[in-house]
Amino acid sequence: MRLVHTLWRFTPLLLLAVVWEAVSRLGLVSEFALPPFSDVVTAFSRLADEGLWEHTAQSLYRGATGFACAVIVGVLAGVLMAWYRPVHILVNPLLRCLYPMPKSALIPLTIMWIGLGDNSKITLIFIGCLLPVVLSAFNAARGVDQVLIWSARSMGAREREVLWEVVVPAAMPEILSGIRISLALAFILLVSGELIIANNGIGYLIDILGEGGDYAGMFAGVVTISTIGFFADQGYVALTRRILAWRE
Amino acid sequence: MARTLGNDTPGTAGHSARRAFETFGPYLTISLLLIAWELASRLELVIAFLLPPLSVVIVRIATDFASGQLPMDIAITLYRTLVAFALAAIVGVSIGILISRNATVRWFFDPLISIGLPMPKIALLPVFMLWFGLFDLSKILMVAFSASFQIIIATWAATQSIEKELIWSAQSLGASRREILREVILPAAMPQILTGLQIALPICLIVVLITEMIMGGQGLGDSMLRSARYVDSPGVFAGIVEIGIVGFCVIRAMEVIRRRLLVWHQETREETTV
Amino acid sequence: MTSRTPPAETPSSGGISIRSVCHEYRPARGRPVLALDNIDLEINDREFVAILGPSGCGKSTLLYLLGGFMPLQQGGISVGGRDITGPGPDRGIVFQNFALFPWKTVRQNILYGLEKQRLPKDERERTTRHFIDMVHLTGFEDSYPSQLSGGMKQRVAIARTLAINPDTLLMDEPFGALDAQTRSLMQEELLAIWNRSPTTVVFVTHDVREAVLLADRVVVMTARPGRVKKIIDTRFEGGMNAEIAKSRPFLDRVDEIWDLVREEAIVAGSAGAG
Repeated sequence: MRLVHTLWRFTPLLLLAVVWEAVSRLGLVSEFALPPFSDVVTAFSRLADEGLWEHTAQSLYRGATGFACAVIVGVLAGVLMAWYRPVHILVNPLLRCLYPMPKSALIPLTIMWIGLGDNSKITLIFIGCLLPVVLSAFNAARGVDQVLIWSARSMGAREREVLWEVVVPAAMPEILSGIRISLALAFILLVSGELIIANNGIGYLIDILGEGGDYAGMFAGVVTISTIGFFADQGYVALTRRILAWRE
Repeated sequence: MARTLGNDTPGTAGHSARRAFETFGPYLTISLLLIAWELASRLELVIAFLLPPLSVVIVRIATDFASGQLPMDIAITLYRTLVAFALAAIVGVSIGILISRNATVRWFFDPLISIGLPMPKIALLPVFMLWFGLFDLSKILMVAFSASFQIIIATWAATQSIEKELIWSAQSLGASRREILREVILPAAMPQILTGLQIALPICLIVVLITEMIMGGQGLGDSMLRSARYVDSPGVFAGIVEIGIVGFCVIRAMEVIRRRLLVWHQETREETTV
Repeated sequence: MTSRTPPAETPSSGGISIRSVCHEYRPARGRPVLALDNIDLEINDREFVAILGPSGCGKSTLLYLLGGFMPLQQGGISVGGRDITGPGPDRGIVFQNFALFPWKTVRQNILYGLEKQRLPKDERERTTRHFIDMVHLTGFEDSYPSQLSGGMKQRVAIARTLAINPDTLLMDEPFGALDAQTRSLMQEELLAIWNRSPTTVVFVTHDVREAVLLADRVVVMTARPGRVKKIIDTRFEGGMNAEIAKSRPFLDRVDEIWDLVREEAIVAGSAGAG
């Protein structure tokens, strides 16, 4: 029953794939602009032997490293900012000025600073994802119900214990949803950074396949990274649900 | 007004000193940082190529402005951003409302959105280039496509969360289906729709810059990437400052518009805190 | 409901002495607001005192000062002969909205305070089990607060506070968020618990009947700025029980206090409108 339901739910996707195949095979659009779906699948299995996975792994390494650093540093910085008022007063204006900056403006900067390699992309993703995480952790920690903190203090908790045992868990739901936004941003920066300039990675692969006229291959690359982005998000949502099981 | 989490400093004695710190502290940080930036590179603590002095960057911005290059870039980038944003808003809100009102539309779009929302849509840029060419059309469509999912989701959620009583009372007062949509559903959903638009606008800015960097064709992103290619570091930093200011202004403008549109809403009466 | 005369064997914790306490709120913008104006109040050891007044009269502020959550601006407060310097486990507090840790189960919530007292593990477990039984939550030990009803949450909050065995119990409208039925059950339970082991209780409420029912003395406060308007003895011959709660003298007392509170509520209302 559940299976039928899931199938029915995803029928529109199947429908789209069929239309895609038909439109291209029947010559309604040029095969050049939209290679048939079946060709893309073939290209996918061909690319799998020609380094698709190596490029993908390279990209994931960059993305995961930069993202993980941003999450760790960002959450710590945001929570401490909320906890120590002087830090907040001094750092807040800086955050407010820098936060609205479109993060893609960092791409040329990291290219100029560090070049084309892994470190350039890792730095890009780290800096780009940092501010959203800091800001959400800061807002979350600042929004923690005063009364929870007072309860803990009246039961004899010390300041440091209040911070780690009350403020951080109470802020967790909002911190986690801030991190989810950063996760999407990490993928955007990763792919666009590689599309602009790189010598390997999935974005680079898509770029050279397109330039070389292998459009079926290019579509296969696009589908691959989109799928990874989708599952990364789903995995994150599942993880969040697990951490926040107490929320019902 | 910011609330303290840590212990308040007690008593009246430290009060005025604290208030002074709270008023001037923020300016202090920013001015100190700007001075540190200037000095660090003047005193050659960092290589000027990695961080050119602030004064050099400012002169560069002024020169670009006087030559007409900068106003031109800003105008082009803003034009692309705003056209794409408007397109995304119209398409997104329409689809969102259709989804909430029609089961077949909902069945069709639900899986597409749940896959499209989290996927890195910028990966489709080469496809958009292939289909729509290298000029404004493909840039604008790419940007609108990237931003529209957030708007669809926000509109859909907004119309779902309207209290049934609101619609029932309009019905009992004799409003037609169309009137209910225009006079009840849209205004009631407006706060959440605007929130969706406020999420979509920064996405537009981010993606516009990327399309300019990849496809060229003038604009702030194109100029900045060209500076990076020529290892022209004042140019890159000037670009960051310019883009930062443009981003700040655009997002601020959106906040003002929100407040204007939601005069009736209680949030406008509450002090906004960031 | 049974007699509420305190048995003599519980150790003395000393009363509370509040001397000329003033408190002013100073918002970041706007004029400072005087919440408490020269409050003098002596509360005896193991006495149950209710504080009654219109909303905004500063009764919660007084309680938070007793708890040591806010710095004392003027005057002095001592509990058990010692001046208070901050929050501490000698004064347990129960808040209106329960203030349970939502990420901890019932058991973990009650254990938290005991862990902070650095009690040995088996004693912690034993005490927790005892208090879970006492507030009739056996079977819900591993539920999260989000799975409990309002009355159950408040019972957890009371158990959590009683478990650390405070000399003084501070209660900030603890039953304010409950429905009428649950509320009256909880009142009975609180009386029963207090009869078994009486402690000094300061109970803030705006429900006149609740105050007369529970307290030995009722302190009526004026509208803002809060001053002590009148202190009324509400002990009844033979202690409190269901019969007395329906008797003429009880109802007369409620009526008398109700008139006092209403006068202040009208003052507060007209001040708020101006």
